[in-house]
Amino acid sequence: MAENRLLDVVDVHQSYGEERVLEGISFEMDRQDVKVLVGPSGSGKSTMLRCINRLTDIDEGEIALDGESIYDMNQNDLRRQVGMVFQDFNLFAHLTALENVTLGLKRVRDMSEPDAVEKAARQLESVGLREQANSYPAELSGGQKQRVGIARALAMDPKLMLFDEPTSALDPELIGEVLEVMRDLAEEGMTMLVVTHEMGFARQAATDVLFLEDGELVEQGPPDQLFEAPEQDRTRDFLGRLTSLHGDQ
Amino acid sequence: MTRSTKRAVRDGALAVFWLWFGARLLNDWFGGVFVAAGEPFFDPQPVADASTALREAVAGTGVLGEPVGWVANGLGSLSFAMTYLPDLAAGAWLTVVLTIFATIFGLVLAVPLAAARVYGRVTHWVALAFIELIRGTPLLAQLFVLYYALPLSRWFAAVPYLGSGIVPEQAVWVAVVGFTINSAAYQAEYIRGSIEGIDPGQLVAARSIGLSRVQGIRYVVMPQALRFAIPSWTNELVYLTKYSSLAAFITVGELFHAARAAAYANYRFLDLFLLAAVVYLALVLSATTVMEWVRGRVAIPGVGGSGDGRMSAD
Repeated sequence: MAENRLLDVVDVHQSYGEERVLEGISFEMDRQDVKVLVGPSGSGKSTMLRCINRLTDIDEGEIALDGESIYDMNQNDLRRQVGMVFQDFNLFAHLTALENVTLGLKRVRDMSEPDAVEKAARQLESVGLREQANSYPAELSGGQKQRVGIARALAMDPKLMLFDEPTSALDPELIGEVLEVMRDLAEEGMTMLVVTHEMGFARQAATDVLFLEDGELVEQGPPDQLFEAPEQDRTRDFLGRLTSLHGDQ
Repeated sequence: MTRSTKRAVRDGALAVFWLWFGARLLNDWFGGVFVAAGEPFFDPQPVADASTALREAVAGTGVLGEPVGWVANGLGSLSFAMTYLPDLAAGAWLTVVLTIFATIFGLVLAVPLAAARVYGRVTHWVALAFIELIRGTPLLAQLFVLYYALPLSRWFAAVPYLGSGIVPEQAVWVAVVGFTINSAAYQAEYIRGSIEGIDPGQLVAARSIGLSRVQGIRYVVMPQALRFAIPSWTNELVYLTKYSSLAAFITVGELFHAARAAAYANYRFLDLFLLAAVVYLALVLSATTVMEWVRGRVAIPGVGGSGDGRMSAD
């Protein structure tokens, strides 16, 4: 196995009761890869992400992080290494922006209060929210909330970041600030797996685009190839519709 | 009346009540600081005499004398209250003790019960069975079992200091146990409702940064759920203040018991129960005032409302 390999997803099947969601998905990610998952709603993109940090369990197949099966790892340890950003932000409503970030540092990484605060403050600054450190989620805009969400995940120093439609719940004028943070992160070399409809982000930042439909990985490849010369008609149809809707930003 | 006027009237009335209540308890516990223990602060006899004099003065004047008669009646009630309030004060103190201890101990039990009810597997059924058993049987029956069927008061008698000093009866502690168990069941249901109202994404997010399930409940779900539970918790405090009168049936000399005992001596049951009702009202208003303050103290934007009792438009 390559030294640089971070994530292996091998023939993953998953179902909710009778409903089969993932039907044999395989792909891999090297360090510093930025892969974008696209596909129609219900195609299994979010489920795929949730399988990787075991928020959802798989029925068959194998997922390995750094060569180790995620089912051999301590669940909480796995999650510390895999950051997750949610569509609905899911900020802890009763904690300030700063406390949202320090909670994991104190309780999971056992950092002292001053160390946790210092690290959290730096993390918030890196997403441009130094001023908002003491604001509660209800006092923040959607874009600010999502940036806190990103800071909260990053503070745990994850090896891999999962983004589950991070801009889908945002007003159009707030999408840019979140994408900017994500582009910076990609440039710094963070390994990222992103579910999004933002094709502009995919073109600029992605190393690969993966097209999922009906629980199957239809096609994957570098964004230029997938957007300009897809091999499958299904891919062409979907990406064509998506680009006309969301355009390039 | 504006909000602030209403609040001022209420706070003023409560200040008078607690000034009297505090002075009364101090006086009686320390053997007569101001007047002899159990004696009225001011002699009610002159007031009673004034009432009688007024009534006699207008006797036979018919309709014209009516308003003066009302004043005379008012003075009569006042002298009655002045005479018997000292008897009720000791009872009101036990009512306060019962309510506060049972609510706090009840909360301590209710939090894990509610968590078990929502998140537990085996513990879910244990919590459910406990809650349904307690809510499904009469409180009075529970008190009888504790007091007459179990040797609780004998155990408490063996504990040094318990049942002496300013909390004079072991039966009070049996009642505290009973009300705690009962209140825990009800409070657990209030808290369960709050937990179920919290967005499940909160716990998912907690889990996603590596917090264990218990940590997620402890640090993320509960702090929010408890804030949402404050209004129903206030309700529980109000109920318990009045339900604590059931302790009278296991010999606890709380407020209702004290009123009844005084009435046996003079047969003025209605007057004494009305007087007790006024004291209950003052206690309940105090409870809601304190809870309003607590709610304001722990208020967080976006969690559990704004604290002024109205819904925001958001």
